[in-house]
Amino acid sequence: MIRFVPRTQFGFWATAYPLLLALGITVVVGFLVMLAMSEQPVRDIWTLLTFPWQARTASVQWGFVLQKSSYLAVMAVGLSIGFRANVWNIGAEGQFAFGSIFAFGAYVMFGMPDTVWFLPIMLAFGILGGVAWAMIPAALRVWANTNELLTSLMLVYVAANVLNYVTTGPWKGDPKAGQAESDPIHESLRIASIIERTDFHWGVIISAGAIAILAFVVLFTTFGYSLRVAQNTPRAQKFAGFSPKMTVWMSFMLSGATAGLAGAIFLSAETGKLIQSENYLNGLGFTAIVIAFLGRLHPVGIVAAALLISYVNVGATYVQSASQVDDAVADLVQVTALFAVLGTAFLSRYRIVLGTRDLSTEGAA
Amino acid sequence: MSDLIIQILAASMLLATPLLLAAIGELVVEKSGVINLGVEGMMLIGGLAGFIALYQLQTSTCTMLIGDVCFTSENSVNQFQYIGSLLVAALVGALAAALFGFLTQYFRANHIAAGLGLTVLGAGLSNSLGGNFFGVDYTAAIVASVPPLFPESWGEVAVLGPLLFDQNLLVPFSFVMLIAVWFFLSRTKAGLVVRAVGENHHSAYALGYPVIFVRMMTIMFGGAMAGLAGAFIVIAQIAPKWTEGITVGKGWLALALILFSTWRPGRVLLGAYLFGIVLALEPRLKAIFSNMSLEVSYFLTALPYIVPVVVLVLISRNPVMIRRNAPASLGQSFEPRS
Repeated sequence: MIRFVPRTQFGFWATAYPLLLALGITVVVGFLVMLAMSEQPVRDIWTLLTFPWQARTASVQWGFVLQKSSYLAVMAVGLSIGFRANVWNIGAEGQFAFGSIFAFGAYVMFGMPDTVWFLPIMLAFGILGGVAWAMIPAALRVWANTNELLTSLMLVYVAANVLNYVTTGPWKGDPKAGQAESDPIHESLRIASIIERTDFHWGVIISAGAIAILAFVVLFTTFGYSLRVAQNTPRAQKFAGFSPKMTVWMSFMLSGATAGLAGAIFLSAETGKLIQSENYLNGLGFTAIVIAFLGRLHPVGIVAAALLISYVNVGATYVQSASQVDDAVADLVQVTALFAVLGTAFLSRYRIVLGTRDLSTEGAA
Repeated sequence: MSDLIIQILAASMLLATPLLLAAIGELVVEKSGVINLGVEGMMLIGGLAGFIALYQLQTSTCTMLIGDVCFTSENSVNQFQYIGSLLVAALVGALAAALFGFLTQYFRANHIAAGLGLTVLGAGLSNSLGGNFFGVDYTAAIVASVPPLFPESWGEVAVLGPLLFDQNLLVPFSFVMLIAVWFFLSRTKAGLVVRAVGENHHSAYALGYPVIFVRMMTIMFGGAMAGLAGAFIVIAQIAPKWTEGITVGKGWLALALILFSTWRPGRVLLGAYLFGIVLALEPRLKAIFSNMSLEVSYFLTALPYIVPVVVLVLISRNPVMIRRNAPASLGQSFEPRS
């Protein structure tokens, strides 16, 4: 008979082996999915795993991976701060949209300056936009005791409508375009690529910097410690003198800031203009939630998870263009990984004990 | 004018029904102490499954097939084919929920993380399978309309006709389920066990009730109801075509309904129809005031998502009231004390 006994000692191995197990499960399921969907599974799996070297230029493929993972990682690190303290901001998609809207708004407000020196101001306004939109669920939570999970989610749909409004109304650009969109920003304000002709641009570096700052805050400051207290023993948070209200404010502020920053970078680096929500918002804010959990809410884990998932995503797109396999593989791998990580997480808190009950070996549970 | 009011009421019944179905399911789930945030995902998967099932059942009785479009002799499906596809949707919804159940109950995963994962899974899977499911592109498929439950002439009776008789099978079903769930939870022994498990799982376990089993059952019931709700949206509401992300947040509205209702079945009904009326008003107000400014127009489009926020704020201000009927073990994993 199998029983689970709470661990009394937590070593490195207790954290590591459930993750390795989850990785193993994901790989096995991923292979099975490829077997089912592909006509030439061996070749396609090989292509998926080694696609950067299969392509004509590896740097372009790595550029895609880094670019995609930078958005996911920076938003996921922001979200993880709240998740640690049971503050559920699942509206990063909306805050991302508002980051873009504020960045473009600043561009219009300051008379469309044509100088690269305006870029930092645009990014700052992007952060401001994300924070402003995130403050709504935070304020409702603190002042009106309203469930922040549902309100932050509802506000995603509201933000999408605001984006649709500004692209069809005040900032409407070329009316002959096939979609509602604004005029493009000046070329000087487009974030430049670091390596020519790849998507590896300075926005990736800016995101990495933001991640480093947040990681320091979470891991090495008193505030970060208070979040960990809130995560593990919510009551002790109060006794230790940390204010739960402050936790809500800070969580939403930081997660809104990262989502807003990502939105502003996205505007500057990828599209160069605002577009109606269906074609502009592509679920990065929701995927970031998955990435946050995949990384077990730890900055290092999140960066690793974002790189891994982006690699599979870009790889699946590459395989799809090369053969008949649908890029749904990426979705399936992502969700399998999430469920595997969630399903094995309890192994780091429990030991598996085989055999019948033996009271002498059990801790006080 | 009275025509318009009848129209709006009939439309709001159509729009409120999926919310009501999904919320009834989630109510039972939460009463047993589990919070499943995957309603939206289960609705998406169930909706696609119901659509595929109906399309297949319909094609099996096709008299003429032009491209991917099927024409039956009456160009409509019969009530049995409709019920068959609903059963498939409910089954698939329950299976998706069972995945969540295994994760949270047997592997003690975080309810919120697993629920969000289920929503992501539902969205991703329905998008990719809808585009290509065993070689058929269901974004191009068209299903025939579902016949009303009663003879069509009844539906034309003044005033009451459209409200009472010109309705889909699931509309009366949602009322029956609401009463059944109310009766089950408040008047039966089994319902008492469900509530006991939700209030204090350790006590329920000590009394000999199978906590995990009870929760698995309620989770699967919730999944089946969410699947039905999704199928209703796809087949009865937005028919004849399926599109990606077809539920546009209705699953989340159902979750908001539970908080609004403070876990009381009667108020679930009230809330569902309140949201239903808001959803029904939006296109009609736009049609009447066709020269409204762009701001107002987009505000109206966003209204179905603003109203729940406002309602939640109003209802949550008093923390005592909202917590009074809340299950005490809500969202906690059960770990038997050995």
